[in-house]
Amino acid sequence: MSYSAINQIYNQYKNTYDEMYAENGTIRKNYRKFSKLLKKLSIEDLNSMSEFSRDFFMNQGVTFTVYDDDQGVEKIFPFDIIPRIIDYVEWKKIENGIKQRLKALNLFIKDIYHEQFFLKDKMIPAELIVSNPNYLRIMRGLNVPKDIYTHIAGIDLIRNESGNFYVLEDNLRTPSGVSYMLENREITRRLYPKFIPKNKVLPINNYPTLLYNQLKSLSGKKKPVIVLLTPGLYNSAYYEHTALARLMGVELVEGNDLVSENNYVFMKTAGGLKIVDIIYRRVDDDFLDPLNFNSASVLGVAGIMDSYRNGNVIIVNAPGSGIADDKAVYTYVPDMISYYLNEKPILENIKTFKLSNEDEKEYVKKNIEKLVIKRTDGSGGYGMLIGKDASEKEIENFIKKIKKEPEMYIAQPTLNLSTSPCLINDKLRPRCVDLRPFAIYGSNGIKVCPGGLTRTALKEGSLVVNSSQGGGSKDTWVINS
Amino acid sequence: MLSRVANNLFWMDRYMERSYGLLNLIKANYNASLDSAATSSWQGIINSYLGSDEVNINYDESISIIDFIIFDTNNNNTLINMITNARENARSVQEHISREIWLSINKYFLDISNDDFYKSFRKKDPIEFINGLIQYHHIYYSVADVTQERGNAYCFMNLGKYLERILQSIDFLNVKVNSLKKADNDLMESYFWKNLLVSIGGYQLYVKTYKSIFNIDNIIEMISINEFFPRSIKFSVNKLNTHIYRLEKFNKPESNNLNFLTGKLKNDLKYTNIESINKKGIKKFVDEIQLQLNEISNEINRVYFYQNNL
Repeated sequence: MSYSAINQIYNQYKNTYDEMYAENGTIRKNYRKFSKLLKKLSIEDLNSMSEFSRDFFMNQGVTFTVYDDDQGVEKIFPFDIIPRIIDYVEWKKIENGIKQRLKALNLFIKDIYHEQFFLKDKMIPAELIVSNPNYLRIMRGLNVPKDIYTHIAGIDLIRNESGNFYVLEDNLRTPSGVSYMLENREITRRLYPKFIPKNKVLPINNYPTLLYNQLKSLSGKKKPVIVLLTPGLYNSAYYEHTALARLMGVELVEGNDLVSENNYVFMKTAGGLKIVDIIYRRVDDDFLDPLNFNSASVLGVAGIMDSYRNGNVIIVNAPGSGIADDKAVYTYVPDMISYYLNEKPILENIKTFKLSNEDEKEYVKKNIEKLVIKRTDGSGGYGMLIGKDASEKEIENFIKKIKKEPEMYIAQPTLNLSTSPCLINDKLRPRCVDLRPFAIYGSNGIKVCPGGLTRTALKEGSLVVNSSQGGGSKDTWVINS
Repeated sequence: MLSRVANNLFWMDRYMERSYGLLNLIKANYNASLDSAATSSWQGIINSYLGSDEVNINYDESISIIDFIIFDTNNNNTLINMITNARENARSVQEHISREIWLSINKYFLDISNDDFYKSFRKKDPIEFINGLIQYHHIYYSVADVTQERGNAYCFMNLGKYLERILQSIDFLNVKVNSLKKADNDLMESYFWKNLLVSIGGYQLYVKTYKSIFNIDNIIEMISINEFFPRSIKFSVNKLNTHIYRLEKFNKPESNNLNFLTGKLKNDLKYTNIESINKKGIKKFVDEIQLQLNEISNEINRVYFYQNNL
């Protein structure tokens, strides 16, 4: 007889918060109903559900391309069938915290491209802004529609051993993953057919409608022409671009489909050139306009920035927003919240040491085995040193690099990311997770989609959840428990 | 609709139609090889579909040849590569085709590129195996018929489909019918012309129309100007004309030259019969159509696929 998957031994990590199990091994309140369902399922059941989800993603074409020796291989993003469940009360705090943060970040971006009060009041060293590659001079003094810069944001949160959520990173440029959030729900509603409606898991499927309406609200036109600009088929997030275009009913365009003339942007259609009003771009600032930025770019549209500056096209997110999600600027977000909003941060930052500060640098050197050092312009888990795993030689080399440009580095305590049970090799095993909720900022205010994308590390003990480094994901349910 | 999207839709259906033609051809040829080795040359198929230069295979071994035509990933024109291309085109136009079309073409691609699927080829009867592949095309055509809205996308898909189909019928007249004249002795062998007609899907209709009597004029008449045969040149040109007319209404291009060109070809065929073809000579008849098609194809490119700036 096959036995229930949940009755097997579950070896929790030390000094780590588990999303489902309390320290004494009892099931947390938010997972109680779901655990009753799990009790009825055997490992064989879970394995076949897992197989069904793999086939589902493959047949739907929910894939990303990995390049190996120029040979593109399409893979599915590893998906774990056990949902991550968040209690509604806890979620409300996250939601409010994200709204507060985005409000402050937008005011900050507007400020530094206009009056620069934040600099004048010495809230942040000026060189951190003006010498930052993400600071775009072309945006100085430009008024953007409705004063909104970061229309689409993905805020990375982690829960440490204390059980509290912290903000790890603000992704304000072209955050990806929202299509996986939607697809994950598409599959879990099939895997757990009665559970989701019965327990009123907060719905997320209106995200495309919400996004469309918020984009539309930026334009004065009744029926603005909205397009989604993709770098093309070879981009690893191409699936997401096709999905969002399809779900919103907007045209998916590549740089070559657009042309900028007389300070207007047109798309080349079978019926001739047609004016474009709003561009939701998934192309980085640097590649957006070969005339104004990187001249070697073939992904963007020559002259698009001139149309933008003339107010004839709206670019989402606004160019130059990257100045606010830089890892060095991150440390100042709590100050922004009190400076612009006169409020206390609802969601806290992770304690961060700036290596440009002598005292903090000394502390980092002495306590390196407890810390992670990151380059401020690094992302995707690259360009970092995990103190406890690094050899003396590696540490020595890294310190040399820091000496050359200390302002490019920060250090944070090694995080004990919370774990969530994952189905791995015929057993439920704890794996580290983070959470990326998605927020949309339009003229109707900020909306945060309940839940978000839970990313999971697949290797035992690993803290790296990034999909580019082999991480997976699972669905996230917000439930009133 | 974006010009690039229109172009991709056109090629999606063109690849699907071409691979459908190829499958029917290899099925008929394998079938013929079961009757007589002499009349089932693989060389012709390899020549017209794959480009024969780099191909180094044993023409006596049907199974390896079929394996090559379907599964070789190094030649651009093999079935697997055409399906991959059709699917890549579909992937880039997902917001314009029905979800069902995408799912059917993606499934075809996933199956044909699966190792187990490939391994099953050598274990099965080749005709059964090819029938299985042909079934994916039938699903694709049906799904497109019942789920795709009759807008721009549908018209561009059909341009690709019918243009490709006409080219296949022209090729059939050029190569096959010409070779018939040289091989008079074999003609009366019923399996020969039966297989020939089967390869273009016209055997049933032929027997119904002309009974079981072989006559080369009847074949030419059926392939060129039969109004009801879905693979005849006349039928496909009429379809082409319908979709060009619709596209002109949807997109209002500056000139109506395209409609003029297809209308002219349509009317030329309307007033053509087997006597006038024979009088002109089959080669000249086919060459003239080919020339008109080239013109139409260039004009489609110019008007719809490549937009100039202001």
